[in-house]
Amino acid sequence: MMAVNYIGSFALIALGLYCMVAKHNLIKVIIGMGLVDYGTNLLIVSVGFNPGGTAPIFTIAELTRESFFVDPVPQALTLTSIVIGACMTAMSLSLVIKLREQYGTLDTRKIRRLNG
Amino acid sequence: MNVLLSSLFHVLIFPGLLFCVVMGVLLSGLDRIWVARMQRRVGPPLLQSWYDFLKCCGKETIVPRHAKKAVYFAAPVVGFAALISISLFLPIAGGKPAYSGTADLVVILYLLTLVSVCTIVGASASGSPFAGVGLSREMVAMISYELPFVLVILAVSRAILAPGDSLNNIFSLQAIADYQAANGPLITRWALIPAAIAMLFVIPCEVGMHPFDVAEAETEICEGTLAEYSGPPLAVFRLTHMVKMFIMTALFCVLFLGGITTGIAVLDVILFVLFCLILTFLTMSLPHGACARFKVEQVFKFYWTVVAGLAALSLILVWLGL
Amino acid sequence: MNTFLNNFPILAIMILFVGAFVTSLVGRRSALARNGVVLVSMTAALAMMLALVKPVLLDGQIITYWLGNWEPVEGWAFGICLEVDALSLFFGLIVTVAVFVSGVYSFTYMNHDDSLVNYYTLFLMLSGSVLGLVLSGDLFNIFVMVEIMTFTAVALTAFRNTYEGALEGALKYLVVGSLGSTSLLVGIAMLYSQLHTLNLAQISALIPGQGANPVIIAAFAFLFMGFATKAFLFPFQPLAADAHAVAPASISLMISGVLTKCGVYGIIRLCYVLYENLNQPLVQYLVTGFGAVSMFICVTMAFNQHNFKRLLAFHSISQVGYVITAVGLGSALGVSAGLYHAMNHTIFKGLLFLTAGAVQHQTGSLDLDSLGGLSKRMPRTTLLFLIGAASISGLPPFNGFASKWMIYQAAFQRGAATGNFFFLFVCIVALITSVLTLASFIKVAQSVFFGQLPEQYKEVKEVPLAMRIPMWILAVLCIVTGLFPTQVQNYLLLPATSAAFNAANYIDQAMGLGYAAAHGIATGGVAGLMVSDCWNPTSWLMLLFCITCAVAIVALLASPNDLKDAHISSCDEQAEVLDAKYESFFSGEESVYSQVGGSDLFWGFKHNWRKYFSYMHDWHSGIVNDYTLYGVVAIAFVLLACIILL
Repeated sequence: MMAVNYIGSFALIALGLYCMVAKHNLIKVIIGMGLVDYGTNLLIVSVGFNPGGTAPIFTIAELTRESFFVDPVPQALTLTSIVIGACMTAMSLSLVIKLREQYGTLDTRKIRRLNG
Repeated sequence: MNVLLSSLFHVLIFPGLLFCVVMGVLLSGLDRIWVARMQRRVGPPLLQSWYDFLKCCGKETIVPRHAKKAVYFAAPVVGFAALISISLFLPIAGGKPAYSGTADLVVILYLLTLVSVCTIVGASASGSPFAGVGLSREMVAMISYELPFVLVILAVSRAILAPGDSLNNIFSLQAIADYQAANGPLITRWALIPAAIAMLFVIPCEVGMHPFDVAEAETEICEGTLAEYSGPPLAVFRLTHMVKMFIMTALFCVLFLGGITTGIAVLDVILFVLFCLILTFLTMSLPHGACARFKVEQVFKFYWTVVAGLAALSLILVWLGL
Repeated sequence: MNTFLNNFPILAIMILFVGAFVTSLVGRRSALARNGVVLVSMTAALAMMLALVKPVLLDGQIITYWLGNWEPVEGWAFGICLEVDALSLFFGLIVTVAVFVSGVYSFTYMNHDDSLVNYYTLFLMLSGSVLGLVLSGDLFNIFVMVEIMTFTAVALTAFRNTYEGALEGALKYLVVGSLGSTSLLVGIAMLYSQLHTLNLAQISALIPGQGANPVIIAAFAFLFMGFATKAFLFPFQPLAADAHAVAPASISLMISGVLTKCGVYGIIRLCYVLYENLNQPLVQYLVTGFGAVSMFICVTMAFNQHNFKRLLAFHSISQVGYVITAVGLGSALGVSAGLYHAMNHTIFKGLLFLTAGAVQHQTGSLDLDSLGGLSKRMPRTTLLFLIGAASISGLPPFNGFASKWMIYQAAFQRGAATGNFFFLFVCIVALITSVLTLASFIKVAQSVFFGQLPEQYKEVKEVPLAMRIPMWILAVLCIVTGLFPTQVQNYLLLPATSAAFNAANYIDQAMGLGYAAAHGIATGGVAGLMVSDCWNPTSWLMLLFCITCAVAIVALLASPNDLKDAHISSCDEQAEVLDAKYESFFSGEESVYSQVGGSDLFWGFKHNWRKYFSYMHDWHSGIVNDYTLYGVVAIAFVLLACIILL
């Protein structure tokens, strides 16, 4: 049962990778990148989960040895990672818009002037 | 003062400039005579190559319009000097190298490359289309012999290692010479015989002798790399070619025929010269008299299959400890 | 320890980021202020790194800096930390020098472009992120820095977005590069799930206690592939080729000289300090194998190229392959050879990219098939190119030779010590790759700089001095690091190598003395490098000089009399009617324009390998889906290999 978070997030990542590999529309490729990101975020946030833990919001005075809460670090990491993922999507979409202007297509099979 | 004098002696006389040039002229003259005899001609006098050199020196140097002047003049001189410097690192005639500890086998491999690169860059700088084709062929010939050459070097370096030896000086020529002085020449080890045969094939291609002289094919591409050269620079290139005959045969002697000494230094040198003569006949005159020139893609194929195969066989055998 | 020096790592990183911010504030008003800010921040970062040389490299200290003073409590590192040991500083120096050179070059090189404020802002952010990566002591910060680095690099690649293919190259870099970032992040998450810490030192201490935990091993595979992507190792090399070919030359220098080094740094840190698993044969095969394959495939791919910078890009990955190969050998000599080559690669490949940029700046073209004869118009650039080409081809006495020579030694030693054919094979591949590299650069020299000058380039001028100065800095470094390998070994390589082998010290300095010993990490270190003293470039150079002089003197003194009368004729370009004797020889025909060069120069070689070449050409299809697929397959392969065999 412990592995269910791994299975879930890796399934999401695999789906995203499939999308990136098999889809020839650039927008779909970028959706695939997004899916991979979400899978990774899910993985990070799930590894910090402690069954029965409370939210990690304490002042120094309240914090004791007995406090039991979910690990706050992965949540911070996830937040960072989400932001980065959003930037990545924005950046790639802006590139796609410019590409579309120059090449007149979104088909990856036709955007291959650099090859060989 | 003594150190300076002995350095000067090494650089200028033995085994440096003078000895190399004399040997180069000798080998090249004999080669021409032998080839002539095989073709039922009388052949030129022994010193013909030297006369050619002198005559070239006296001619006008015409720098072509498309040439890059500085490189055009520098290339032959640097190449020649690099070639002579190799002789100072070879333990000739069972002795010590003139400058031990300055270079090892890998360095010599690269110095030989540097000599060829100087020819190529010089040709390139002369701006001639024939030279362009010539340098392309020279480079392909270089790629061709490099693989077997590397395999031979690795095989020899591995062969002299005994279990428990320090691995610090693996490519050292001095170590190879010492090993042969103690255990007899490496050619007597049967596992290394294929490597020695491969090395025999490497020599003519490295020197650029018929039938492997694809880069300088007179009849097809008008001397190729040397097409636009004239006067003293051409003379230096010719001399480089001759000295290379000596350096390559000497390298073979050092790698495979070391450790044969009579105890008397002068006799040793004479023996060494004799070996060089025999090798010149075997690797350069004989194929020259017997074969027509190969095509460049044939050279490549031959060296990467047959010759490299022989060398690789040797390498595998010594690697397995045989 | 000097507390003032302690602040230098964070200051060096901050000054680059602050510089980026200030540039965007003041840069729109005045170009001078903008360039001033860029120059000041680059120089300050470089100066701070140089100031750390004495304590870190020479005295062997490790500088740790806890942000906000959050020091470890009860053996748990909560805070974010910068930890600068000799290995980090070695790469930090490479980075700051490359940034400095690239920035100075940009001032003139980019003067045809507009919206330069954005360029310099991104450039400084890129520099800051890379420096942050190599100095960081925290795994998640490494990830964040990698992301900033990828972002800015992609944006800079696409900077000249009207240039043919710039957007395409940038997009491919972004999409396929995201695989690497994801792989890193997954690896970090998996490590965190088992060890509950992100501090490099603490992770390093805790990993041995985990035994054969499959999650930890899978994390290794992911992290390794993440860094491999950043170093553009096979099968990610098409990205580098695409990005390099279209980016401005100063950015190509950054991508090849700095970004790939981050991948190399990551792999060394990962394999030697974090996991300390390079004594296992499988890891050695894995790392060395990736290196050797990249090295060979990329050098052969370079034979197919028609674009100057694309060709250089493939060579760049080929040389990084050398570095990774050496690093994977797992011996002290291997690591130091790898570090040496990494440093040299930044220097000579930077020089070559800058000469390519100079050619592009003056002629507007990078096409090997149409250029030619530029040595007449750009003699100084030609000289610089020849120095760079000789270095990368490993001709003595330049720096490429010294490091390659160490790599051969290391590979052969490893092979001879273990009797393993694999390492022998790697040694052969390395030697052959070297001659193929040479061939490729002969091709460039013949196609671009020598031969006949096409009509349309008759009026080309030499590049301005401001662009030649950065190139000369690199060229001088090429020669100096090549001529004094012993000094480089003693002062740079040995400390960095010892740091790579001494994880215990790295842990102790961050987590408190005795922490490593408590977790069973033995103190390591390297006493001296096992380098034979059989290569002495300075003596050789003196010999060469003596012989050259001797040849000249003998020729002058002992020549027959008619030699003194012999004269050198060269043609007068200004003459109305050119003398026919100066024309190229054409078998008696009238001389016409004829340039032998371009991509098919080595026909005899390519003919025999035509099937391989056409297969590889198709393999680099240019379709982003294909590249992603190769990446995914590679990650899956490494993952499976690690989990099954480790």
